[in-house]
Amino acid sequence: MKYFNPKFLLQVLIVCAATFGGMQCGLATNLTQALNIAVFASVITTTLLFWERRVGVAFIGVALLVACKAMSLRQMLFGTELDIILFLVGMMIIVGVLKDLGFLTWVIQAIISRNKMTGVSFTAILCVLSAVLASVVDEVSSIVVVLALVFQVCETLKLRPHPFVLIAVMATNIGSSATMLGNPVGIFIGNKAGFTFSQFLVGATPVAFVALVCTFVITLFWFRNDIRAMSEAMAAHRKTGLGPTAKIPYKAGLFVLIATVVAIAFHHQVEGLLGLEGAENHNAFLIMTPLVVAGVLMILRPSRARHYVEHDVEWWTLLFFMLLFSISASLSTNGITANLATTLTQHVKGGPTGMIPLVIVISSLGSAFVDNIVFVASFTPVVQELMKMSSDYSVLWWALLFGACYGGNITVVGSTANIVASGLLEKHGQHPIKFSDWIKIGAMVGAVTAVVAWIMLLVMPTPKPLDAGHAPAAEVQQAATESAPANQ
Amino acid sequence: MVQFSLIPHGVCTFLAPAGKKTTEDKLNRKDDVRLTDYFGAKSVLPHCGDMVRDDVVRTLVGKIVAGGGVPVGADELVSEVLSREALGTTVVRDGLAVPHARVDGLKEPCVAIATSVRGIDWPGEHQGKVHIVFLMLIPREDPALYLKVLRALGTALSDQEDFNLVAGMTSAGEIYRFFKNGRAYLPRYLTAADFMTSDYQALRDTDSLQVCISALIAGRTSELAVVDAAGNLKGVARADNILRACIPEHILWMDDLSSILDFEPFVQVLDDEHSTPVTTILDEKYPVVSPDSPAVQVACEMMKHKSSKCYVRDGDHFVGVVKLTEFLNKVFRE
Repeated sequence: MKYFNPKFLLQVLIVCAATFGGMQCGLATNLTQALNIAVFASVITTTLLFWERRVGVAFIGVALLVACKAMSLRQMLFGTELDIILFLVGMMIIVGVLKDLGFLTWVIQAIISRNKMTGVSFTAILCVLSAVLASVVDEVSSIVVVLALVFQVCETLKLRPHPFVLIAVMATNIGSSATMLGNPVGIFIGNKAGFTFSQFLVGATPVAFVALVCTFVITLFWFRNDIRAMSEAMAAHRKTGLGPTAKIPYKAGLFVLIATVVAIAFHHQVEGLLGLEGAENHNAFLIMTPLVVAGVLMILRPSRARHYVEHDVEWWTLLFFMLLFSISASLSTNGITANLATTLTQHVKGGPTGMIPLVIVISSLGSAFVDNIVFVASFTPVVQELMKMSSDYSVLWWALLFGACYGGNITVVGSTANIVASGLLEKHGQHPIKFSDWIKIGAMVGAVTAVVAWIMLLVMPTPKPLDAGHAPAAEVQQAATESAPANQ
Repeated sequence: MVQFSLIPHGVCTFLAPAGKKTTEDKLNRKDDVRLTDYFGAKSVLPHCGDMVRDDVVRTLVGKIVAGGGVPVGADELVSEVLSREALGTTVVRDGLAVPHARVDGLKEPCVAIATSVRGIDWPGEHQGKVHIVFLMLIPREDPALYLKVLRALGTALSDQEDFNLVAGMTSAGEIYRFFKNGRAYLPRYLTAADFMTSDYQALRDTDSLQVCISALIAGRTSELAVVDAAGNLKGVARADNILRACIPEHILWMDDLSSILDFEPFVQVLDDEHSTPVTTILDEKYPVVSPDSPAVQVACEMMKHKSSKCYVRDGDHFVGVVKLTEFLNKVFRE
């Protein structure tokens, strides 16, 4: 019994409970569907309990589904969502170039060279910077940049950085929901639902803005003593400043960023000009823009091109995404999500509006403990099934987005940004934030922002996708029909 | 300097009769190889009291050449051995000198021993006289053999009483029998302990950055081990980590810093160095092996970490350092 691991026993219990529960609830009516649920539950529980083994388990999960004919090879390849993966690769390379060019350094230098900051104004800057950066680059790059600022300021002022790390993380998670670029969840939902960039902006940014203001107010109160201490320390450091300052060239980086965002923002119009129409070309220019920009940058900086691809792209994470997307797509092709959608419509009264709080709560709680992309990937096919019944269910895309992003604030493992922030704290010689400390403020911010999202989704008109039933999903469905797996 | 006290005993515990196989054959077949496989009683010179170093070397080389099997003339061998002496002392511990040379075309190591109760004056940077001289001629093609013989010798003479006993023996037969009957076996492979030095300066984890910077400068080194009160290795303080502490992380994101001209990154660290603990610049990723790790593992660790030092840890306890230059010297030149 020396090597007995109670976490493994817990995982086995959860997987068994999910599988038998799925069979009892009518989600799985045959062995193939039961196996599919078991594999999916295994991947989810691995991300929760054995974080470093998640890619290995996902590898085996995909292989198992193919071997048992629960998924054909063609379905697996369609399910990997290579378009989204390439979009993320392009964005990661662009962020690498922005770092190289000094733009992100300039952002930090511009803030620490400000002479008349107080604790409150620094917190406000922190919130805005975290949210804006997260919405235009991505949450991980954003948190790395913002925490560099936090550590620079706190180490200079000899202050505990933990409160400001928490503020930055919460604002980052909220800001990452504001655009398609901020979070893998955003581009995944945007692409699966069929939203254009501007539709996404109209639907997500106002909610994110209000949620950010609420978060700012909550954190101002919650960390009032730390913010007051910062004001006093800043007053004492007026002459010496907050760190070494230097003139950083930023124009090239700023141009790259603006050009990328503008090109992405007008992707729909460009697609129209190029005649990229129809379901098979939906969001084609949106996906291609980061690749084009990254390609141009790598041509212009050939000596660094390999560095960008090898060091700035999170291949480990992207590989996991591909396998996860593939496994979750198999839930759809095997009819499990259709069964779940039917069950939900039977049991939840009030139609799409009635389902909003349910989706927000489930995705918030789910994302609090499991990486939010895992939860969104699993719930997406369900919303796609519901969209077949009525386009009014498109509001659930937004509920899913806000639930997943805001729920990520609740615990330290709720989002990739949280985990990166914890690692950076330790790297800077600080003790990690206690689970209990995190969940107190995290649950409060999570609950308030979830309520904000719910109310705004009720009162605010939300954009509907241009074409319901996105092309890749339809192709997967077609591939499923063609290959006719033995799922009966 | 090889630390004999750290050499683990019992590496070669297997016993088998030594036939006429080559050393390589025997080592590969896990047979044991004794030091006495390389010399006989005729190669021992007891009581060489009034001789000076060069005379001792010449006499011992003469004994080896007289035994046959050496493809090079005595004068050339003496010259080779003395040339090696000129590079640095071969006194590996108090009272024990191991003059040696690598010889082209030699198939097996050749050894000759001299002893002196009164002691021999041995030029070089060491204290006291030499009481036992262990002259070795090593095949050039086998760089590890010298260290293996050295380890076997160290094992045989690790006890000071044994050392004094051999130094005081009056006949060549007695000395030969001591090595024949003792535990002087060649190890099957070289370990980190064969290359490491344990007289190495380390910082305490309670030291300040000021102490660290001063120690790095005084020691003309780029890194130092950091240990806790129990002597456990906690990490490595590196000079480049001090630079990192001086230059904020976000500045280092940039590929090209040539545009930054008016920048004073060291002021803040200079102000705080006395109150900043060394642990703030501690690197926890460094090459580390245990004393009985094979030598190739030491090389591999240094390559993986692109480091010029490999730290040796027994459990958590810091026991020594293998320096790359020493490692190369022992493999290619000693």
